[in-house]
This record gives sequence, structure tokens and C-alpha cells, in this order.
Amino acid sequence: MVREADPSLNEKQFVLQSLKEGLRVDGRRPYDFRSLQLSFHSDFGHVQVQLGRTRVSAKVSAEVVRPRADKPTEGLLLFNTEISPMASPAFEVGRPSEEEVLISRTIEKALRRSRAVDTEGLCIVAGEKVWSIRVDLHFFDHEGNLVDCACIAAITALLHFRRPDVTVIGEEVTIHSLDQRNPVPLSVHHIPICVSFSFFDGGELLVVDPSILEEQIREGDMTIAMNIHKEICALSKAGGIPLEMDQIIRCSKIATTKTAEITEMIQKALADDKAKRQAK
Amino acid sequence: MKRSDGRTEATQLRAFAASQSLLNRADGSAKFSFGESTVVASVVGPAEVKIRDEKMDEATVELIVRPAVGFPTTKDKVLERALRQTVEPTILSGMMPRTLIQIVVQIEQVDGNILSTAVNAISLAMLDAGLPMSSLVASVTAVIDPQDNILLDPSSQELENATSVHTFAFDNTSSYNLLLSHSAGAFSEDQYFSCMEACKHASERVHAFIRTAVEKKIQKEYQQLQSS
Repeated sequence: MVREADPSLNEKQFVLQSLKEGLRVDGRRPYDFRSLQLSFHSDFGHVQVQLGRTRVSAKVSAEVVRPRADKPTEGLLLFNTEISPMASPAFEVGRPSEEEVLISRTIEKALRRSRAVDTEGLCIVAGEKVWSIRVDLHFFDHEGNLVDCACIAAITALLHFRRPDVTVIGEEVTIHSLDQRNPVPLSVHHIPICVSFSFFDGGELLVVDPSILEEQIREGDMTIAMNIHKEICALSKAGGIPLEMDQIIRCSKIATTKTAEITEMIQKALADDKAKRQAK
Repeated sequence: MKRSDGRTEATQLRAFAASQSLLNRADGSAKFSFGESTVVASVVGPAEVKIRDEKMDEATVELIVRPAVGFPTTKDKVLERALRQTVEPTILSGMMPRTLIQIVVQIEQVDGNILSTAVNAISLAMLDAGLPMSSLVASVTAVIDPQDNILLDPSSQELENATSVHTFAFDNTSSYNLLLSHSAGAFSEDQYFSCMEACKHASERVHAFIRTAVEKKIQKEYQQLQSS
């Protein structure tokens, strides 16, 4: 399929001119996120996230597998971030674009390599059986900033997920079905949240949570994954214009406040869902 | 009779649910569910086609199935083929030569009956995209349980115990043409035809539901237009 059509010169000029006046085409301020909506499906670990008109859903599943030979006591955490043409006709099946690879890598770094999920807690019998947790991300609508939306969806789904309870007596392993015993949540150490920035006008102007139009016009971009403890879990600045150090410090300060806001929203949504399930 | 998910009749279908135009980027989209089984379909087209896929006298229909969990497997390829061959005859592709109609099916939740759910979702999505079509497709699945009962719209538990599974899709013309027949398991000729008859009656209900869903949506759009 064809690639995304570039915005016209007039459109570009309009966006840049308004940014210089501190305005964005969709009516936001430069440091504003779009509205965030989280909705949970009936099964555990299945959540749909809408960031403005960008929409991603995450589905977590677990199975028992043999661990890797070099890490016999560690469970596995896998992400499937293949983007289907449903999100945008520019994505092709079986041939990941550069954009798609970058999105996968950023999510992988932010959630797996930052050790957000305790993989050692997923061990059942060392060297024999461990849980393999798989996060499937379904990209429905690409209206800009897929990374942040996907990251929020993935971590929320991991927090929401419950795996079947297991008892080990000697060599015997029993996996209890969901109605036999209450399923157990994963142990999540911290909640990394991705915050993406786009830069314009030689790095002078910056916006948070770029829309698709801003993504097409931008000169550079950066994604910071941060948790509520103000720790940077991943920082990805793949190419684009060079940035001044002050600008990066400024971005990380913005990321701190955004992370706190988003984490609070996720926790509120999870608490609401829990209350709703208990009321049933 | 009592079915495993609490239904009381063999011909009872689970609650349908449908929504249209839920996505922004696709030309048409729809979500359809039979109980917990949910599928989202999106349609893009007529769009630019790759030269090697180009057909001089009609549109190329491409269908992609994305499973709920994991990477697409052979099973999904089979599903892709069955779905494409079911919906392709209803599209008036001769009106859009040298273009591409791309349909993406994302399975969201599986509780039996995915083939039928996907057919119905695609049907609604194509309608939403405004593609020229000769008719609409609706599909229902039936199973024969070990006691020789025909059960419509099986849940995944009923599918596991079934001796044979039959999926049929019919269009909404006056002759109710058969567009898809997919059977697996051991069954007699009589059983096959009675399943087909049962599915035919049930698909009329699905067609009626699709009609009301579209009517409601258009009514709502009309009201919005008038109030603005």
C-alpha cells in the first residue's frame, strides 16, 4: 500500500505559524496531552486505550513454558507489536516500516528492559516450568503518538491481568482454573509511562503528545519513559535535529508531571474497574 | 433443554451487538459480537493497488485476519481465504477496476463462532464504507452435539463437545443464496441439510438485526444533521 500522503505546504506553514504563537491545530496548548480514556473488557488483562482519536488495545495472556537454559529461574515477558493496516493503510503486513520497528523497540525498552514486571516471580519450577506472559497490542487507529498510547495500554493491561494460581507439592504442579481459586495479579515493580515530544523550528518549539499532522511536519522527536519515582526508564531519540542539553532537561521535567498525571489516571481506572467487578 | 451458558433453546442465538464507524482512519469499520465473541473489521477502498495485484477489469480484494493472541498461523490463513471467498461475490468489483479493497479483521475475543462473527462484522464494515454491493451477507454457525441435537451459535465449550460443526452464510436477496458452507466432523447428509435449514432461518434474524442497526445509525445521523 502507498505511504501516508504528506501535508501540503500551506498546512505545514499554518501549523508552524500557530505553534510560534503557542497554539496547536487541535486547540491544545503545547504541553497538553489529548484526553485519555481507558476501558476494560470482561476478561482480565484486556484493555482499550483511547488517546484522543488514537486507539490501541492490549491483551495479556499467560502460558506455562520451559525457561531459557541460561536463565532457569526467570519467566518470559513477550510483546507482540505488529501494526496491522487497520491503524493506517501505510502499514504493511509482514514488512515492518521503520516507524513500526521504533515503536516496538521503545515499548520493549520501556517495559521489559526496565524490569517493570518481576520475571523471577513467574518461575514455577526452576529449570522446568515458568510462566510466559505475552502482551498482544492491537493498533486500531493511528492519529499520532502510537508509542505513548501503546505503552499506557500495555502497562495497564499488565496491571489488570490475573494469572491462574499454582501450587507445587514436590514434583507435582497443579494449575488451578479461574473458578477453582482466585487468580493472582502479576507483581509490577513500577509503572513506566512514555511521554513523546516533537520538535520544530530547529528545536526551538516543542509539543507533547504530537498528533499525526505534527508527526509528519516535525524536525525531530524524543520519547522519555519515566515512572512516578522520577526515574528515567528509557530515553529514545532516534535521529532528527540535534537538541540542546537544556531542552532535554526541560522535556524530562515535563515528563515528570505528565507521568504523575497519567499514573494517577491508570490507578483510578483500575480501582473503578475493581469496584465494579466486586459489585457484580 | 439447558445449554452450558444458560440458554434454554437449541435455536437460541446469543445476544448480538454491533457498532459501526468506530474507527477514524478506515473508510468503513464495524464491530460485531455474538455473546463474548467479538470481531472488529475495517475496510479501506477503493484505493491505489500495487501493480502486481492489479486487475484490469475489477477491484482486487485483500483480506487480512489478525488473531487476538500471537502471530497469524495457518488457521488464520484458512480463515482469511474462507472470508474473502464469502464476501468477494457480493462486492460489485467491476465498478471499481484497478483498485484495491483492503479488509482487515481483528479478532478481539474468542468464544466460539469466529467465522460467523467475522462474516457479519465485515458485512457491516463494507456497508459502512459505502462499497457498491449486490447484497449483504449474514452468517450463523450450528453444531451437532453427541445427543444428535442441533445447537445454534455454539459457545467454545459446546464446540469442544460437538461431533460436527457447520457454518453457513446467506445473502439477503429473495432467493437467500448460499455463499459459504464450511463443515468439519462426521455427519450424515440429512444432518447437513437440517443444519443448513436451521442456519438459514437464524441468518434471517441476523439480517433483520443488521437492518435495524443500520436504520438506527442513519436515523441518529439524520437527527444530528437536523439539530445542527
